[in-house]
Amino acid sequence: MDERTFARVAEEYASRLYAVAYRMLGHRADAEDAVQRALTKCYAARASYSPRWAVSTWLYRALSNVCIDELRRRRPTALLDEGDAITPARGVERLDLARALETVPREARLLMALHYVDGLSYRELAAVRGISVNTVKSQLARGKAIVKRALDEE
Amino acid sequence: MDTLDARLKQFFAAPAPGHLARRVLDHMAPPPDLSKLAARFAIEAGDRGVRRLAYGRGRDVATRAGRRHLERAREELTDYLAGRRTFFSVPMELEVPPFQAKVLAAADQVPFGDVTSYAELARRIGHPRAARAVGNALGANPVPIFLPCHRIVRGDGTWGHYAFGATLKTRLLALERATPALVGCATTRIICRRGCAHEQRIGEPNRIVFASVADAVSVGYRPCRRCRPAA
Repeated sequence: MDERTFARVAEEYASRLYAVAYRMLGHRADAEDAVQRALTKCYAARASYSPRWAVSTWLYRALSNVCIDELRRRRPTALLDEGDAITPARGVERLDLARALETVPREARLLMALHYVDGLSYRELAAVRGISVNTVKSQLARGKAIVKRALDEE
Repeated sequence: MDTLDARLKQFFAAPAPGHLARRVLDHMAPPPDLSKLAARFAIEAGDRGVRRLAYGRGRDVATRAGRRHLERAREELTDYLAGRRTFFSVPMELEVPPFQAKVLAAADQVPFGDVTSYAELARRIGHPRAARAVGNALGANPVPIFLPCHRIVRGDGTWGHYAFGATLKTRLLALERATPALVGCATTRIICRRGCAHEQRIGEPNRIVFASVADAVSVGYRPCRRCRPAA
């Protein structure tokens, strides 16, 4: 992949990568940092990219590794930072969701982020995380069940 | 579950900050190395400072007393083109009409890495209708780069003319965009302009790049008294 193609791909995916990173890490600055680190890794390895793979799989795999590393490194923090501009009426609902998502294990949360931000299929999610399709399905179902239970309790 | 799906989908869509990809890509691209170009510039120095900078042909010329200015100018120019310097401290010896002197002085106030328009510069010197005259005065700049007329662009964002060609103007502006202008030392908590003698002594692990002086001051740094980055 040449530099120009990489720049085009980065432009196309940056906002989606950011959305995933933001929902995983909970802070705008950390999310920007994660996108930057993921893209830098991909840029350095762009010569070894093969067109046989989907670009999205390649980018999301790099990003999810960065996010998981970051979460391992630090203690869990609130998913919603003070910069999240939301209207008061919808704010309560979003805060509830953010709190509910905090209780979801990080692997399932990452799969949910990838699934809901970019609508990745089970097969694509399996390729991104290097797990089986059935594991993806069970992780997503488990994540959603945890969120639903947490919302019902509140 | 369907409503939960919809709610989650809405929740996960976080708006990305503007130009995120561009900023990341700019950060990744290595600064252009123009150091080889230094040999193509010819400097003329007089007793009181640099008189002229020519590109493409000619050799360095200096009066007997001007040799030290020439050496300093050559060193600073090389550092600037290699991305190691963001300002020039060598004196200039200009013999230009008062209007042009005013225009060049105003152009010198445009910070490293920044650009402004001909019309804005005309407004700053108190001749708001003289944008074209400002362009002519900059075009006749005897010491381009030392007095940064390349930081003046057209109001519509296109580059406009440049004495050394549009390609060089683009490369100089790209160099300035990619070079960090302010560097702080984590141990002394002093912030310097790139190229200051103090900045060159900062060890690699202690280097911190700042976006602005105010940003550095807000976390307890003070501006260097030698290169005076706040000035």
